[in-house]
Amino acid sequence: MKRILLACSSGMSTSLLVMKMQEYAKSIGEEAEIWAVGQDQAKKEMAKADVVLIGPQMSFLKEELQKEAQKYGIQVDVIDMVAYGMADGKKVYEQALKLMEDK
Amino acid sequence: MSQTLFEKLSKVLVPIAGKLNNSRYLQVLRDAFMLAFPLTIFGSIAVVIANLPFLDKVMSENSLNTLKEMLGVAPNATMGVMTIFVVFGIGYYLSKSYEVEGIFGGAIALASFLLLTPFVLQVEGKEAVQGVIPLDRLGAKGMFLGMITAFVAGEIYRKIVQKNITIKMPAGVPPAVAKSFAALIPAVVTLTFFLVVNIIVTQIFKTNMHDVIYNAVQAPLIGLGSGIVPTLIAIFVTQILWFFGLHGQIIINSVMDPIWNTLSLENLNAYTKTGEVPHVVSKQFIEIYTVGMGGTGMTLAVIFAILLFMKSKQMKQVAKLGLGPGIFNVNEPIIFGLPVVMNPLVIVPWILAPMVVTLVTYLAMSSGLVPPPNGVAVPWTVPIFINGIMATNSLAGGLLQVVNFLIVLVIWFPFLKFIDRMNLQKEREEEQAATKSAS
Repeated sequence: MKRILLACSSGMSTSLLVMKMQEYAKSIGEEAEIWAVGQDQAKKEMAKADVVLIGPQMSFLKEELQKEAQKYGIQVDVIDMVAYGMADGKKVYEQALKLMEDK
Repeated sequence: MSQTLFEKLSKVLVPIAGKLNNSRYLQVLRDAFMLAFPLTIFGSIAVVIANLPFLDKVMSENSLNTLKEMLGVAPNATMGVMTIFVVFGIGYYLSKSYEVEGIFGGAIALASFLLLTPFVLQVEGKEAVQGVIPLDRLGAKGMFLGMITAFVAGEIYRKIVQKNITIKMPAGVPPAVAKSFAALIPAVVTLTFFLVVNIIVTQIFKTNMHDVIYNAVQAPLIGLGSGIVPTLIAIFVTQILWFFGLHGQIIINSVMDPIWNTLSLENLNAYTKTGEVPHVVSKQFIEIYTVGMGGTGMTLAVIFAILLFMKSKQMKQVAKLGLGPGIFNVNEPIIFGLPVVMNPLVIVPWILAPMVVTLVTYLAMSSGLVPPPNGVAVPWTVPIFINGIMATNSLAGGLLQVVNFLIVLVIWFPFLKFIDRMNLQKEREEEQAATKSAS
């Protein structure tokens, strides 16, 4: 079970991407829990995640979230801009998997 | 401009944006206003119903007045006393951010604010009524004093708690009881401070903190914020930030919201009392007439321009993806997919269109052609046209958005056409390359 947390300003704009990522994970037969939250909840929700991805418009959160993520030994990164814009579920899902391997 | 210049600028802007976004005070202020948000929506619904344009045709004047009276308590109990919620919210969230008991922080902030509030109503030409709080002091008029007081009260309270000057209860005392004792000394000290301030101001200077802050801080700031030039600057900075891929509103709004929200409250108060709207610029002016047109940068017009007039596959795909969210004013697909971010080809329409449209909106409203938003809170995800009508309680408010939509489309058109031609050429070359390698 892979648990991927997406964080953006209010959790609204990333929800489309979440749907696409879930579809992709399902299509390749992987079990994944993917969810989006607003920036104020990101720190709390991190405890339940294996990896954290940030919407590119909130890239300035990275440093702060990274500090918190160290407690759980998980990776934080900013979602690739074009993949985010095109709601490319496959590409972002792969980005998440790669980050999980890196740790 | 070269790509590297953009990147250099981006390196400067990202940390600044981060600092502003993470500033404790701005974060607390944002959360405090969010606390009041559902309440203002409730109050707004009541105002909308009481002012539906056709009511005077289907109801007698008497029953219409009764309806207005029945519903009038809803905005009074929410937006009318919004400062109470903001003050409590600041006290609560500020304490929480320092990891001290939030609920007491909120209560102490509120009591501090009330300590500075005159419990007397002065109406010109009449005898003063004792033992009442004038409603407007708890609403728009007291907003800035409320915010300042809540921050100061929260800071004093948490410092004393953190210094551990509290009464400690032996083990075995129920936690709720222990907590209320723990807050005792900090509460008494904080409230004493504000009591002394109030005594000095009322007894020695023969005035009150409400009038002092209103005249010295709030009125000048509000006057400044309601002008068209500062508004255009705010729009300009928002667009620039988004151009660098940063969430412009989160950063600009946390600075401007106190002013814009106060303007909205003043509008609503005047509107429910007299039907007149004093300020053109307000929270709704900014939200409904910029973001409310398909997201930041009013990109619903861009989506339509692409779907109707452009041919390249890449653009069509982005536009199709962006249409659904765009109707509800979410436009990340366009911003990051077209893309707008760091794309020198679109920087001109991206910045120019919202500024031109904002100016047009301002002129249309200040000339009386279109009524300004009356302060009714409309969620930013309500689609274009509908949100314009709701915000102004007039069809003209929606029609103005249609005009604005066309202006955006015209400004963007040549730039989109240029990108389209480039994309088409690229797509053709790729196709040719593909057929060549296939044969």
